[in-house]
Amino acid sequence: MSAENIFSTLEEKFGAKRETLDKWGVTAVVSGAYLRNVVQFLKDSTEEKFDMLVDIAGIDYLTYPNHEGPRFAVSYAFKSIKTPGARIRLKVLVGEDSLKVPTISDLYANANWYEREVYDQFGIVFEGHPDLRRLLNHVEFVGHPLRKDYPAQKRQWLSTNDYLLPELEKRLETLGYKVIQRSKEVEPNDDEFLEGSVKA
Amino acid sequence: MGNEAGKPSIITSSLDFLVNWGRTNSLWPFPYGTACCAIEFMSTEVGRYDLSRIGSEYVRFTPRQSDVLLVAGTITYKQAPILKRIYEQMAEPRWVIAMGACASSGGFYDCYCTVPGIDHIIPVDVYIGGCPSRPEAFFDAMFDLQKKIKDESYMKQRAERVKEQIEMIKAKTAEAKANAKAFAQEKVVDIKDFVVEKEQNLVKKAQFWKE
Amino acid sequence: MIVLDKNGEKLNLMPLNVGPSHPATHGCLRFMAAMDGETIVASVEEIGYLHRGFEKMVERGTWQQVVPYTDRLNYCSAIMNNIAYCRAVETMFGIELPERTKVLRVIVNELSRINDHFVCVAAAFQDLGGTTPFMYAFNPREEIMCIWEKLTGARLTNSFARIGGLYRDSYEGFESDVLAALDSTEKALKDLHACLDRNRIFLDRTVGIGKISAEKAISYGWTGPCLRACGVASDLRKDEPYYDYETYDWEVVVGTQGDCNDRLQVRLAEIEESVKIVRQALKRLAPGPVDIVDPRIRVPAHKLAYQDMEGLIGRFKSVYEGIRVPEGEYYSGSECANGELGFTIISDGSGHPYRIKVRPPCLTQFAAFHDLVEGGQLADSMAVLSGLNIIAGELDR
Repeated sequence: MSAENIFSTLEEKFGAKRETLDKWGVTAVVSGAYLRNVVQFLKDSTEEKFDMLVDIAGIDYLTYPNHEGPRFAVSYAFKSIKTPGARIRLKVLVGEDSLKVPTISDLYANANWYEREVYDQFGIVFEGHPDLRRLLNHVEFVGHPLRKDYPAQKRQWLSTNDYLLPELEKRLETLGYKVIQRSKEVEPNDDEFLEGSVKA
Repeated sequence: MGNEAGKPSIITSSLDFLVNWGRTNSLWPFPYGTACCAIEFMSTEVGRYDLSRIGSEYVRFTPRQSDVLLVAGTITYKQAPILKRIYEQMAEPRWVIAMGACASSGGFYDCYCTVPGIDHIIPVDVYIGGCPSRPEAFFDAMFDLQKKIKDESYMKQRAERVKEQIEMIKAKTAEAKANAKAFAQEKVVDIKDFVVEKEQNLVKKAQFWKE
Repeated sequence: MIVLDKNGEKLNLMPLNVGPSHPATHGCLRFMAAMDGETIVASVEEIGYLHRGFEKMVERGTWQQVVPYTDRLNYCSAIMNNIAYCRAVETMFGIELPERTKVLRVIVNELSRINDHFVCVAAAFQDLGGTTPFMYAFNPREEIMCIWEKLTGARLTNSFARIGGLYRDSYEGFESDVLAALDSTEKALKDLHACLDRNRIFLDRTVGIGKISAEKAISYGWTGPCLRACGVASDLRKDEPYYDYETYDWEVVVGTQGDCNDRLQVRLAEIEESVKIVRQALKRLAPGPVDIVDPRIRVPAHKLAYQDMEGLIGRFKSVYEGIRVPEGEYYSGSECANGELGFTIISDGSGHPYRIKVRPPCLTQFAAFHDLVEGGQLADSMAVLSGLNIIAGELDR
């Protein structure tokens, strides 16, 4: 089953539209509500079994010439290990007012970090994501730098370093442990931080 | 006592020479390598360039045992507090080399996330250009740093330190004296109050008995 | 912190922070581990300490100006990233490259791969406490660096490839230099194998450490040597061949266990395969042009600019306005030293990239780090980390 055939199936089943901008491959524009079903379909029901999520990219169409429609888009690239060379891309359009896309981090393990990155850079919220934090920028960062209206040179200092302890506790809980006494560093002490801080 | 030590004499200048000789030829670097420049630093260590020729092959990865903080690579805002803390943990005497364009000025990453030069956070002794700097440039920087160290006078620094300490002691003593004085005055006031009170009591008592 | 485990037993765990300034984390990686004695019970990773804003910076220049930024993604094999980026844009243009360019690109690609794998293996042994292999591995690497200097003018960040060609043709004596470098590569490989294959300490520290199954690795999106170490023969050079890779005689190297030792051995074996490819490519290297003739894409030669009106206009336009990539969206993946380096390119038809998203191979591998180290010893985590070959430049971009 070639990518074209898969696309026609997607068109039939989920009302996917062909992205005309992608002249070199197959990109299906699907609605956010169907995203999980489409991904599940690609992963399980197609002949190729698209078992690898290659990339998730956020796109901001704010200054794109002659662009109509929602401002943001999230683009997913899949490939198949079983059938070498089989690739397909999905695209979900996200309006500025909703900014919500369902997560696929339970279907593909690496979607977790990719989605965190898109959230960090564009502010698109992935619904149902287990741990939606910033990935690349620091905790005190305000705004989303890869949006077209974020000035490239707007710098933001970080006053202190984060502890990661709450995340560690979360990880322990997912592994089946139960934290009964928290470490005393969980509540950071301001005085101790200021010593090594760049603001001090 | 501080002033005498500040003047050069045969003993002090030979001691200076000895201390500087020791310091210049065993500069242990702390490679704070983050990016491309760290790979070039790795090349500097191995056979072809051989950093051990100037006594710096002993790379220490703890700030407590190293003399030179070698910042090789881009420092981002996320990393800035860590770099500052590492610098603070280093023992005196300490020097800093900013290796490469990114560490010196931010390089061509003029962006929301990169610190435009580490001198925004910590003082720098030697800057090296290049993106990344060649191993030869790194050696040049080490020689520059050695020259700089040779010009330093251990005795002078010590004299200054002693002077500072004496001033500090003097200030502290003055402070302590003032404190003691204030305390004594308070006590005096207290005692006066106490005496006045007692007197008043006595007067009251006397009046009471009179009546 | 005190926790109850699944059986209700009380455990006193110590949270331990490793990195980002730790010798084995190479300056930019950090993880927080909950330790039960020497055993890691849980681990959380944090990245972004070298986030330099690649994707924001490239939007401000022209298409050709992206090339130096790609150098600094995976700085151990800079030319490979140049070529991967140029290949993506060239596909959008629909350019057919001259034969000599293809062969030259294959040669520099494979030499870069050798370079990258040597750095990885050398650093891995340095982290495990072995200094000798480090010295052995860097000798041929320095020889390749000398070739880079002669060829491109820079040691590490070369910016050699251009959209529609190369920066310049190879110099006289290039072939003999490459052959000499290959010879010393083979010698170093022999030395490295002698150091490592039967080394008790090394085997104890790497065999069976950081194991991952093929299914899990695929689910995490692993590519490149790390995936091949799990026994999956997936290599874009064979799967989606470009630059006639399929016509060379070489094998895809796969491991069996998917452990730390396999990852390093696969890299060493890949160096052998790369040497084979380069030797064959050198025989194919026939004289010819290295740039395509299209003044809208590739800057005309200096000679033409001084003699020819067309050449002058072409040079002026492509430098000041930049080339105009056809409007559209495209994802292109190339097999780099660490795995699939992908570029999602969105062009609005102007002289500046609208958006370029990099798909770094390291990110997926480091995302699986907690799965690899949990249940192991703290010292093993260092072996795992260096076996994955995380390059912070492309991890954080």
